[in-house]
This record gives sequence, structure tokens and C-alpha cells, in this order.
Amino acid sequence: MAHVPTAGGFEVPLWRAVAVFRVASLAYVCVVLIRDADRYAHPLAAGALVLVMAAWTGVTAIGYADPARRGWPLLLADLAVVVAILLATPWVMGRPALDAGLPTLPVAWLSGPVLAWAVSGGRRRGVVAALVLGATDLATRGMVTPGAFNGAILMLLAGVVVGHVARLSVTAGERLHRAVELEAATRERERLARDIHDSVLQVLALVQRRGAHLDGEAGELARLAGEQEVALRSLISAAGPVPAGAADAPVDLRTLLGRHASATVSLSAPAGPVPLPPPVARELAAAVGAALDNAARHGGGRAWVLVEDEGAVVTVSIRDEGPGFPPDRLAEAVAQGRLGVAQAIRGRLADLGGTARINSTPGAGTEVELTVPRREP
Amino acid sequence: MSGLRVMVVDDHPMWREGVARDLTEAGHQVVASCGEGRQAVRVVAAARPDVVVLDLQLPDISGVEVIQGLRAAHPDVRVLMLSASGEQQGVLDAVKAGATGYLLKSAGLAEFLEAVRRTAAGEPVFTPGLAGLVLGEYRRLATVTSHAAADAEDAAPRLTDRETEVLRLVAKGMSYKQIAERLGLSHRTVQNHVQNTLGKLQLHNRVELTRYAIERGLDD
Repeated sequence: MAHVPTAGGFEVPLWRAVAVFRVASLAYVCVVLIRDADRYAHPLAAGALVLVMAAWTGVTAIGYADPARRGWPLLLADLAVVVAILLATPWVMGRPALDAGLPTLPVAWLSGPVLAWAVSGGRRRGVVAALVLGATDLATRGMVTPGAFNGAILMLLAGVVVGHVARLSVTAGERLHRAVELEAATRERERLARDIHDSVLQVLALVQRRGAHLDGEAGELARLAGEQEVALRSLISAAGPVPAGAADAPVDLRTLLGRHASATVSLSAPAGPVPLPPPVARELAAAVGAALDNAARHGGGRAWVLVEDEGAVVTVSIRDEGPGFPPDRLAEAVAQGRLGVAQAIRGRLADLGGTARINSTPGAGTEVELTVPRREP
Repeated sequence: MSGLRVMVVDDHPMWREGVARDLTEAGHQVVASCGEGRQAVRVVAAARPDVVVLDLQLPDISGVEVIQGLRAAHPDVRVLMLSASGEQQGVLDAVKAGATGYLLKSAGLAEFLEAVRRTAAGEPVFTPGLAGLVLGEYRRLATVTSHAAADAEDAAPRLTDRETEVLRLVAKGMSYKQIAERLGLSHRTVQNHVQNTLGKLQLHNRVELTRYAIERGLDD
């Protein structure tokens, strides 16, 4: 938690503000000196003390400007110098001036280290510096006047507030840094996707198209090219990294079903997302997967998946053009191992409060229609 | 088969040449081929193609802009879109802008030539994926307008029950012939239903664009 490395450079303006504060408060010190010098015990020494303060203001302004020098040596020296000036003040002003209630010579200037400590390390450091300086100030006066006490409290509050703001700005800087990195990664990914799209995908599609009608090895190569084209396409069009903390945020059913799309499985869906709670989407996708496995095993050929979002319900239909089976001959279906799948699919849908309609005609393939209600989360 | 005048627009030279060769071998005439959308819009009036085979992803302007430009320069032209990846919103926007055919680039040669022929004849060429997109778009429009409580003129286009039924079957991969058999309709009727679903969407899109233009004009 030490002086945090600059992520977004957010604390640079804070350090500049501390330097400005020190110069401005030094100007006020000069005003106080000119006004009250004739009532001080040692006016010349007071002048010398103000010169020391001016010099130290310059040293800190330059010192804190460089991130490498913002370490403990300068912070401790800052506090020590200001404490020393504070300790010299009673002698310079003299008892009568202090008892008359005149402000101590450094007035607000002594808050400088409190701000520096707070900016460098947050609230806790600001409080420590404020307590040290406040205690020294009260001790040198030898009594607790309401004005002096107020000053100490204000200094403490300044330490807390500035420390808090400093922490916030560092955190904001780090977040911005991370966001910029993430954006760069996403851009790179999009650029890659474009490049792949422009080159590899086109060539694979061309190979497939020109070779699809050939027999033997050439036809096989064309088919392989087609499969790779589909795989690559789904890879580059897949959603980017999931935002953190979105564990139970609705997921897009299309993304889950996209994994099933291939050269033989066509996926039709709306252009926009089909959001569902993650468990519902996962169960539904699993049921679709089971239906597709079944279609591949028994249907053999192509299959089509249609996703429809009707607001209150989401419907997924799966169709194949396999041999199908007669609806009244379930015993035969059991023998073929089909009913097991059908029951598994029905079971999953029942758990979701939905329905599964399975329609099969011999010679005309099988159609499965899965419907789930969308409950408000 | 009488040869068609075809224009090929694709930024990939290898693909462009392959397609042109396939079309020529099939007896069609490739009247122009370009790699950029703006160029295509410039030459379309002079080339007078029956069909433009258009890659949706061009380096200079979007597929929608190309289609609007082509139709403005040569109103009779029919557009068959091809895309290598299933850019879904892009395909839908292109259909709304007036393209009547859509095919994935991975489609086979016979399928491609058939699509060119049917697009030229004014028949809609749908993939199951496109039917899913169009179905989704009708549902989206219905929700948007019911929320906005629009007046009758802006009412979202709606599908008849029959059109929905046909479109769902197209989305599930059935051919027009299979659909006609299942629903006991003629092939021509099925085709008309599909055509109507596109027509209403394109009309609605034109109305929306005009309204938008008027609103912008009045605001300025």
C-alpha cells in the first residue's frame, strides 16, 4: 500500500495540488508575519523562520514532483522539519503573544505534511501525520485554546478526506488501466477474427465448394475443409471473455447451442440474444444435445435446430430426416434404444417446467419440439 | 437454360475468379466483377446485371449500403448475398434493405447455381438460418411496437398463421416441395408465402427509413 506505482497518473494532480496548497498557505504566513511581527518577541527570528519555511516549500514541491523521491526519507524529513519549525515557534513569538491568542506563525502551512502523507498512503498515514502535528502544536502552546483545538481537528479531517480521495483515485487509475488492457485484448481478437475471416475461411469455403462434387479422396478433403471452416467460424464468432461477477446473469441460449452447429447441423435463431437463467439454458442445451446425438445415431444425415423466443416461452425444435419411427410402436422404439433418449429429454424438460413433443413418422424423419416457460428471475 | 447476366462482388480475388468460372461454365455471362462496394455501385448501371452475387463483408462500405446503392442505380437488380460466416444481424439488415437471396459460402456448387437462377427469377432464396432470423425479427418488431403503443400507421408488420407455419418449416430445413406436401399446398403458394414475409419486412423498413428521414428533416 506504499506510494502506488502510477497506473493512470491520477495522483499527479493531487501532488500538484499539495504543492499549490503549501505555496498558498505560505503566502498567508507572510501576511500573518507582517501583521503581527511587532508583537512577537523575536521578529527577526520570525522572518528567518519564514524563510526556512519558504525554502522547505520549494524543496518539497520539487521532491514530491518525482515519483522516485516520494518515499519514506522525504516524508519523514517533511514531518520532522515542520515539527521543528513548530517547536521553534513559541520562542520566536514569545509567551505574551501566544497568551494573547495570536495564531501560531505556521498557521495552515503546517498541514502540508498531513496532505503529503495522505496522498502518499491513504487515510491512515494522513491521520498519523495529523496526530503528530496536532499534538506538537497543542503542546507548544502549553494550553488548549478552542481555536488551536479546532485547527487540530480540521487537520485530522483533512488527512482523512485527502487520504480517502487519494486511494479512490489510485483505484480508479488501476481500473482504467485494466479496462484499457481488456479493450486492447478485445480489439486484437476482433482484428484476428477479421483476418481469419478474410483469408482462411474464404479459402476453406472455396476448397469445399470446388471439391464437394468430386469422388474419393478429393471429395473427402473438400468435406474436411468444410468441417474446419465451420469449426473456425464458430471459434472466431464466439463471445469474448465473460465479465466477472456474472455467474447468475442470464446467458444467451444461442451461444450454448452454437457448439452443436456443424457442417451437418444447421442452427437457426433470432439475430438478438435469447437470454435464459444459466441452469435453464444449460439443461435445455443438454436436451438439445441429446436429441441431436440421437438424430446423428439413428438419422445419420443432416439435422436442423430452430430457436424461437416468444417472450413468455422459448422453443427449440430439432428435425432430422432419418428413418423415423411409427408412433404406435413404442416397443420397437425401446428395442432401438430410442425411448431411453426420449424419456431423458422429457425428464429434463419436465424439471424445467416445460414440455417436449416428439413426433416421428417412418420415412419422414423425427421432429422434437422443446418448450420452456421463461420465469422472471 | 438461357444465360443470365451476373455481377460478382467479393473482395477475395481467388473466390471471385472461382465463382466467375463456375458461372461461365454453367452458361451464364459474368458482366462485371469487383472487389469493393463503391465500385460495384458505380458500374452496376452500365453492366445491367440480372443478379448481383454479393459478399456481405466488403472492405469499404457495409452490405446494406451496397444493396441500397445497387437498387438506386439499377432498380431491377436482384441481389443474392453470400457470407462466409453467419453474420446474423448483417444478413437480416441486408434482407431488410432489399436482398432476396442468401447463401452461405460453404454451399455446394449445384446449390449455388440454383440459387442464382431462382434469385434472377424473383424467387426468395432462404437458408434455414435466414428463416430463423426473419421469424425472430417479426417477433422483435411485435414487442417493440406493443411497448411503444404506436399508432396504426406504424403498426409492426405481422405474419399470418400460415406464413409463420411456412417460415418455421423453412427454418427447420424443409424444402418448398416438402412444405407443400406437408401442408397440402402448391409449390407456388408456399413460395408466395415466403416472398410475402420478406416483402412486408422490406416495406416496413422503407417506411421506417422515410419516417426517420422526415423526422430528421423537421428537426434540422
